[in-house]
Formats: sequence, C-alpha cells, structure tokens
Amino acid sequence: MIVASRKPFEEIKKSLSGYRNILVVGCGTCVAVCLAGGKKEVGLLTSQLRMSYGLEKDPVNISEETLERQCDREFLEMICDRVKDQDALLSLACGAGIQFLAEAYPEKPVYPGVNTTFIGVAEAAGLWTERCRACGECLLAVTGGICPRTKCTKGLNNGPCGGMTEGKCEVDQERSCAWVTIYERLAREGRLAQIEPMLSPGDFRSQTRPGTVTHRAYLRRYHAGSK
Amino acid sequence: MEYTKELLKEIGLEPERLEMFHIGASDAPAWAKAVTLMTERAKALGPNPLKSI
Repeated sequence: MIVASRKPFEEIKKSLSGYRNILVVGCGTCVAVCLAGGKKEVGLLTSQLRMSYGLEKDPVNISEETLERQCDREFLEMICDRVKDQDALLSLACGAGIQFLAEAYPEKPVYPGVNTTFIGVAEAAGLWTERCRACGECLLAVTGGICPRTKCTKGLNNGPCGGMTEGKCEVDQERSCAWVTIYERLAREGRLAQIEPMLSPGDFRSQTRPGTVTHRAYLRRYHAGSK
Repeated sequence: MEYTKELLKEIGLEPERLEMFHIGASDAPAWAKAVTLMTERAKALGPNPLKSI
C-alpha cells in the first residue's frame, strides 16, 4: 500500500491561513491503514484545528468528510454539494488522491495534510517499511521475492558491492545487505543459477514521468500502444 | 495517552490537562486520589481556555 504520514500541525495550519470555511477530506484506503488520513485521523485533525482556532478566537468553520478513496472520480463526485460552500479543501489522501481531488474541483484551493512516502508494508503495529519503487519492470522472479532496487541502499541490479562486510551494508551498518539476503534466499530454494548471469541495466524509459498504464482490454478505447 | 498529549501540545493546550489512570472498579481510595490530583492540577492551570466553545 501507499504509506504516508501526517504533516506537522503547524505546517498544515499555516497553509490554511486566511480561509474561513475548510473541508478536511480523508481517504478510507491506504492512508487509513497507515493511520495517516483515515476517518479517525480526519476526526483528530479537525478537532485539533477547531481547538486551535478556538484558542485564537478565530471563527473558522471546519467540516470533515472521509471518502472510500480519492483516486476514483466516482467517490470524489459524492462531495460536490459539500464542496460548494468551502473556501479550501485539506486532503489527507496520498499524493495521487490529493491531485485527483484538485482536478475534480478546479475552482477550490486544495492543500495536502500528509507527506506521501513510499509503497510499503506493515511490519508491525505503527511501523511501515518500503518494499517497492514502482520501477515498472519487476524482477522479483529472479531475485527470490526480494527487491534490490528498493532494499539495496544503492539500488544495485547486481550485487553485492565491494563495501558489503559480513552481510551488512557499508552505507548503513544496521542494515543487512539486500544482495546477501537475495543470495541466501535463492540458495535455500536451490535457485542460485538465476543470479549467475548479470542482470541487464534497468530500462529507465519505464520510469518516464508521469507514468501511464492502459489495460490490454482497453487499448482500443484509449488508442494506446501496448503497455 | 502520550500521543494524545502530543496532539494537545501541538495546538498550544497544556498536555497536563489530560491524564489516564488505571483504577479497579471498586478501588475508591485510588479514585479519590486521582480526582484530587486532577482537581489541584486544573486549579493550578486555570480554566480551560476552550470552555466557551
């Protein structure tokens, strides 16, 4: 899932200065799971904002709404009546959702309430770690389910580098070398032959921004090439 | 509790206004002690500035 963390309160409040009617919009998917922007976090932040403005005796009207997702237009359309009365929207969705909300309501200023960080997993309660860089050419089949582009500090396609010491990364001594982990995993599975040939350099054309993916069944509809 | 106190500090409200005590349902002396503590704390901090909201 996409992992995000809430921006510092001061930064959020500063970005909203001057507005009288603000709608805080949460998202019930990735950011809810990583406790950054779901219904509960929207409730907490709106309470903080109301209390903060109250302490300053500043009559700002804060409303809240949490959508199933902000990356699908059908959900964004559901709040069109509520948005009309607002001066600004504060979105707690990931960067994709914030931008889609801004596109859906071009006449309203939209501000981010979170910093979107990476595609990751829940290691434990309250702890998320990065697992995927969305490089567009997944080689997990070759590397035993461990991504060197994400887990290797240098993102090496072939490793380990000369700085690896006793299985640890030279950049971060606390971290296990990704390529050693890959080697050990493939050895256990009897698949070491997979990393004997050198992996060719990554095709960075697949990382041209902004990316587009068109499902094969929809190529004709969108006049797209095969992707 | 620590996190909630942080949230209060962020908006400029004293985190000491909030506290959690684990008290058994029948433990009246512990309850009285906690109430006395919080009453004294509230008096020292003064009225909650948000009371009028």
